[in-house]
Amino acid sequence: MRTQSCIKIKNEWNIVQARQLGRDLSKQLGFQTVDQARITTAISELARNIYLYANDGFIKVEPINDMGKLGLKVVSSDKGPGIKDVRKAMEDGYTTSGGLGAGLPGVKRLMDEFKIHSQEGVGTEIVAIKWLR
Amino acid sequence: MDSPVIAHLKEHKDKIVELWMKKMDEAAAEAPQSNINYKALITTNETFAEVIYNYILNDGSSRNLNEFIGRILQFGWPLSYLTHGIQVFRRVVIEVIGGKAENTKELLQLYQQTDAIIDPISNKLIHDAAEQWENTVYLQKNALMELSAPLIPVMEKISVMPLIGTIDTERAKLIMENLLEGVIEHRSEVVLIDITGVPIVDTMVAHHIIQAAEAVRLVGAKCILVGIRPEIAQTIVNLGITLSDFPTRSTLKEGIETALKMTKREIVFIDQEGSD
Amino acid sequence: MRIPILKLHDYLLISIQVELDDQTAIQFQQDLLEKIHETGVKGVVIDLTSVDMIDSYIAKILSDVVRMSSLLGAKVVLTGIRPAVAITLIDLGITLKDVPTALDLEKGLEKLQQELEG
Ligand SMILES: Nc1ncnc2c1ncn2[C@@H]1O[C@H](COP(=O)(O)OP(=O)(O)O)[C@@H](O)[C@H]1O
Ligand SMILES: [Mg+2]
Repeated sequence: MRTQSCIKIKNEWNIVQARQLGRDLSKQLGFQTVDQARITTAISELARNIYLYANDGFIKVEPINDMGKLGLKVVSSDKGPGIKDVRKAMEDGYTTSGGLGAGLPGVKRLMDEFKIHSQEGVGTEIVAIKWLR
Repeated sequence: MDSPVIAHLKEHKDKIVELWMKKMDEAAAEAPQSNINYKALITTNETFAEVIYNYILNDGSSRNLNEFIGRILQFGWPLSYLTHGIQVFRRVVIEVIGGKAENTKELLQLYQQTDAIIDPISNKLIHDAAEQWENTVYLQKNALMELSAPLIPVMEKISVMPLIGTIDTERAKLIMENLLEGVIEHRSEVVLIDITGVPIVDTMVAHHIIQAAEAVRLVGAKCILVGIRPEIAQTIVNLGITLSDFPTRSTLKEGIETALKMTKREIVFIDQEGSD
Repeated sequence: MRIPILKLHDYLLISIQVELDDQTAIQFQQDLLEKIHETGVKGVVIDLTSVDMIDSYIAKILSDVVRMSSLLGAKVVLTGIRPAVAITLIDLGITLKDVPTALDLEKGLEKLQQELEG
């Protein structure tokens, strides 16, 4: 079993690869179908944001074990323009690209834990965890 | 080499156990609400003493202790019986071996060594008991969850999901999954969500129900919300919740009539004589 | 990769069997609109039974294609959305409110028939 995997997001095809990775790992870890879909979708949203707004970056997916509690951690990081107003970006429907503005708030709801750190001109890092039920 | 305390424990085993049993008896007699049968208590105390001794002398083999804790909790005895037993054991040991010390320094050492031997049992006991308790709660919760959200296919194309009890986020997730899987399995076209048995409908609960209805629509069926009591209608409106995206009915019966209409059917009464 | 579009009587049927990458999704949108225009059909069923994930980007393409088709005079029904997919869409806050749905292809065709002919 792969213990940690990292995918460089540079083009649209990488988004599909990142999704596939999430699908495989969540299945291997024993997540139920619905949570597999949640994880895969969250990864897809994060990867797309990198592609759309930061040009390139990384998606890292790794199993974690917190004192016997198993989970899957997804980290998205880029050195793009960063997000000026994170609070706004987390609102449903907020978009600067004519999208649905559902990605970031959606990822937060799809996963159990969600942390975003973004700085203008420096980049964005998002860490999201789904615990095994 | 055994520590002096271990040596004492071995040497005075009979005396310690006897004294311990006596104190446990006294304590049991003093506990007024005790619903524990006396004979069972004696045998259990004997086993308890055995288990403590095994644990100390075998130096860490915890199987017996574990089993014993499991049995005690299974029979519904209070955890305090176990913690009390250990406390009494500590007191008895101090009482019996304290007299063997020649000076304060030695006495202090005996105390410390006793603690070093008994603290781990005490910790283990609490740890095991907590673990077993959590396990039981977890299993019961799961069983309850599965029982509490069935989708019943009442007739072709129409299913009912009766919701009973409070709905928290975790349960809402399960309800949603059962609901959708059921819709697919029974090929339901209309699902009636019956909230007669839901005591409180606040914004959160309403939100969960609305989301469930929206998800049902996505998989290709329709929802009717039924069992809305007057006070729930009041709260819904007072809280400013809009349920306008799917039909609501006050009773299951009306809901089924609506569902039949939606699936282009109706109930016809057949003449008893079978005329024509 | 191109998603095949079948014509059955007065309807177009599409069953999406592949991982929807962006290129495929955009190509599909274009192909479908051209086909509607070319054939003049009034009804389209897009079956998603094999799709195990719909993110907000694909959701937008799907709801756009429904609205665009409607401008060309064709009604689109989405069918076979899986429970897991429906739940993630709800988590994303996407309800596809104005998009008609049905359980499966057969029911989708039934729905079109009722609404277009009845
Ligand atoms: N990695 C990122 N780098 C810079 N800006 C981002 C990043 N991710 C998201 N954003 C900003 O946050 C907004 C909201 O993102 P999201 O919720 O995914 O909606 P959408 O992608 O549909 O616009 C985006 O429009 C963009 O302005
Ligand atoms: Mg996005």
